Amino acid sequence: MSVVALSDSVVDELRAILGSDYVLTNKSSLFNRARVPAPFPVHRWDEHVADIAVLPETAEQVAEVVKLANTYKIPVVPRAGGTGLSDGAVPVTGGILVDVKRMNKILDIDLDDRTVTVQPGINMLKLNEELRRYGVVYPDDPASYPCSLVGGRIGTGGWSLIGARYGHTRDLVISMQVCLPTGELIEVGDGGGRKIRKSSTGFQLKQLFMGHQGSLGITTEATLELVPRPEAEFAAFFGYPDYETAYKSTGALAKSGLASLAGVVLFDEWKVNYLRRDDEAYIPQPPELRCVVAVAAYGTLAETKPASQVIMAIGKETGGNYLGDEVSQGDWASRHDRYATPLHGRTPEGQVVPMSWHCEDAAITYSALPMVREEWHAIAKRYIDDYGVFDDWGMFAYTNGAHKPWGDYLVEIDIGIWEQRLDDAMWEAWVQCKREITEVSLKYGGSITACHGSTREGDAEFVPREMGGGFDVMKKIKRVLDPNNIMNPGKNSLDEAYED
Amino acid sequence: MTGIRESGDRTSVDDGLQTNGQGPDGLTEEFVSEWRDSAYGCFSSGHKFCREVCPVMQVTRNENHTPTAFHANIVAMEKGHLAVEDVAEDYIHCVQCGACELRCPNTLFTGDFYRHRTRTVDVVKAMRALAVDSGVEQPNWKRWVEATMEASNEPVVEGVSQERVRDWAEGLDIPTGGETILFVDCEAAFYRTSVARATAMVLRQAGVEFGLMQEQWCCGGPAAEMGYVEHARTLAEHNLADWRSVGATRVITLDPHDYISFTVDYPNYFGDQYDIEILHITELVAELVREGKLELTQSVERVATYHDACRLNKRKGIYKSPREILHAIPGLTFKDVDHVTQWSYCSGAGGGMRIERPEIADEIARRRMEKAADLEIDTLISACVWSERPLSEQGADREPSIEVRDLMELVADAAGLDYGGVQR
Repeated sequence: MSVVALSDSVVDELRAILGSDYVLTNKSSLFNRARVPAPFPVHRWDEHVADIAVLPETAEQVAEVVKLANTYKIPVVPRAGGTGLSDGAVPVTGGILVDVKRMNKILDIDLDDRTVTVQPGINMLKLNEELRRYGVVYPDDPASYPCSLVGGRIGTGGWSLIGARYGHTRDLVISMQVCLPTGELIEVGDGGGRKIRKSSTGFQLKQLFMGHQGSLGITTEATLELVPRPEAEFAAFFGYPDYETAYKSTGALAKSGLASLAGVVLFDEWKVNYLRRDDEAYIPQPPELRCVVAVAAYGTLAETKPASQVIMAIGKETGGNYLGDEVSQGDWASRHDRYATPLHGRTPEGQVVPMSWHCEDAAITYSALPMVREEWHAIAKRYIDDYGVFDDWGMFAYTNGAHKPWGDYLVEIDIGIWEQRLDDAMWEAWVQCKREITEVSLKYGGSITACHGSTREGDAEFVPREMGGGFDVMKKIKRVLDPNNIMNPGKNSLDEAYED
Repeated sequence: MTGIRESGDRTSVDDGLQTNGQGPDGLTEEFVSEWRDSAYGCFSSGHKFCREVCPVMQVTRNENHTPTAFHANIVAMEKGHLAVEDVAEDYIHCVQCGACELRCPNTLFTGDFYRHRTRTVDVVKAMRALAVDSGVEQPNWKRWVEATMEASNEPVVEGVSQERVRDWAEGLDIPTGGETILFVDCEAAFYRTSVARATAMVLRQAGVEFGLMQEQWCCGGPAAEMGYVEHARTLAEHNLADWRSVGATRVITLDPHDYISFTVDYPNYFGDQYDIEILHITELVAELVREGKLELTQSVERVATYHDACRLNKRKGIYKSPREILHAIPGLTFKDVDHVTQWSYCSGAGGGMRIERPEIADEIARRRMEKAADLEIDTLISACVWSERPLSEQGADREPSIEVRDLMELVADAAGLDYGGVQR
């Protein structure tokens, strides 16, 4: 729990701000806001519990809570969907957990200027259900599309499965209202206008408040891009006899220059083997199929129809075997929740056990993919052999650049972890495994994380190394904006900003 | 790897029980050992894909009310962090509609292979039962169940009693007993009697022979949903004995909640000895229409949508037969919303929500009616009599108002039957 214990008077002040129904002190409320889907040291659950949780409904309430916390130097942990694959929303030093799920209103739909302004607690699927009638869509489409919330997408710097066409979260948020660590509400965007996409006025502050993992404030409103609802979606899945062929095909597809290309995804041999365990789309595939590449295009019919012909031609010319409409359309439609199911987990002896999911999300250049793949799998194998509670669920490589999908990839190795068996030694082994994986990413000039954030052991300690001189700038910014280190302390190694 | 044993399709962990200071005792320990592996299937996923489809969570936005929390609490109890009194209130916040189970990736993507379905409704029922057995009771549920046991029927209106349980059938001359029994839900028998009368007359029109019970008690479902398992079982034992005593082999239900009781709870209570065929009225009437035994000839000039009852659609996969019937009704302009979209819809009437948290139930119903109003309809059709009271209240409050009709009332209209009864 927190260094500064919450006094009764602080609790009373929070109740005065929010109403007593929305200030939660009971154990169940705190234990249920302690973790996210990322691997969790369940044997040390009580070390990740906030002192109190608040459920604000307005930006002003958030600001009052943060002001209070700053006055009393109490840590604040923002939490939106709690669906992150790193620990941004996990309390590590107690304090006040600000849960924004009640802030889920649509404030303004502007069809003239093509924006929608929302509170941070709204989910993208729910937002798009409302937007459907207007023929527009907010195209931020992560694997967690049915459950993550706009505020968390901003806080983590989210990546979208169709980002090659439409951009990722940071490209899709036009401007925001942000509550600073001292409690002021400010507006940040490109320049000053809430609905301006490009400006050269002042600093480019918008990106500073993207992906900061709650360490620089809490987004209280966001003005988002509206794009025309695509007339057509085209998805094709190709099978390959080996990784080398699939890798080259991926590169050719990503470099096709098609503007409607929404993403290219490479499944390696481990991933296909994992799916063959019990996914009914993959079990019947012939044994010579060892890797898969998925491609998707979105847009008008005038764009996607010829694009589909180009994609089919490139896929086939580069050695791909089209897996058919049923697999292509079905797998793409189920892309949000098909590939990381705990019941697919296996011990080294082949026993089915429920495993939680570590999803590595390094950003790696195309040329380095084959080396990273080999080294990561070798690391995973050592830990699987030594400890028996880990499982290699294979790798994906997804095109990473918004509108420029050809150069770098979000590279994912999925590792199953049998949390029920965790103790201190097993957890330490896991963190060590994670560190080795991270070292490989940095060795090849990559980035630790493309979208989840570097907030946990095995990531956070590498932030200074990856950022180099930029980390000193980060520390200065952090200290100026958050003089008392109340905003999500313990994340991104930013506690170092206060060490001297 | 020690301590692993195969248990059906999945593996259980024998030695995983770790306590942390305040270990579970007695009833809780038994409960945790039964449910922890199932709970862990959710906990280890933790994706929360269920959250936005949950009718309750859409209203309260409180993470404690998520299906994820319902499973995580059990893991926390196993670890000794939480006790039943810490979590009992969380479990009030469930209408037991089953949407979360369908939207769970574990159901969707291992369901085909392992025949797995995440069991959140069962978890909620079991936790509520543990709470009751541990002396942690909710005042309104307790009052409701006590009143039910006193009258043998739910107190859906003032003056419910066995003497009045057949009043709805006045003038219809329905015999007692026979091979087929029409089980008339408490809400239909005492509150919206038009549903019961329409159903009986439709069956008669189609030549289906049926009778009523000697003494029809509550099905026991609500008591079971609220955690009062022994009370529920007492009611169930009576009903089964009554069916047997009149030689019944088949029971037709007009209410989806009864259908769940008879097809899920009763087999659990009675095991292999339970040999009664249970039919839901929509399945039977669709068949009667299909086979030409029931002719729907009268035009019903309405613009309507259909409310998929949670317990039919989400719990039992019955969504085709109501639509088949609706398409057979002449004159009806039917604006359908597909049954998967309706996973996130609910009337708020289930799981005791209206009794213990009426303000949440009302808001769920209001939102459901708002979705209907978006379709510019004049009628919302349901096949769940329990949904019809909250939805009618919301429909009446709208401008223009939306009328709520039971599917069997509409079928009776289309068959030219004058069924009467109280329709409200």
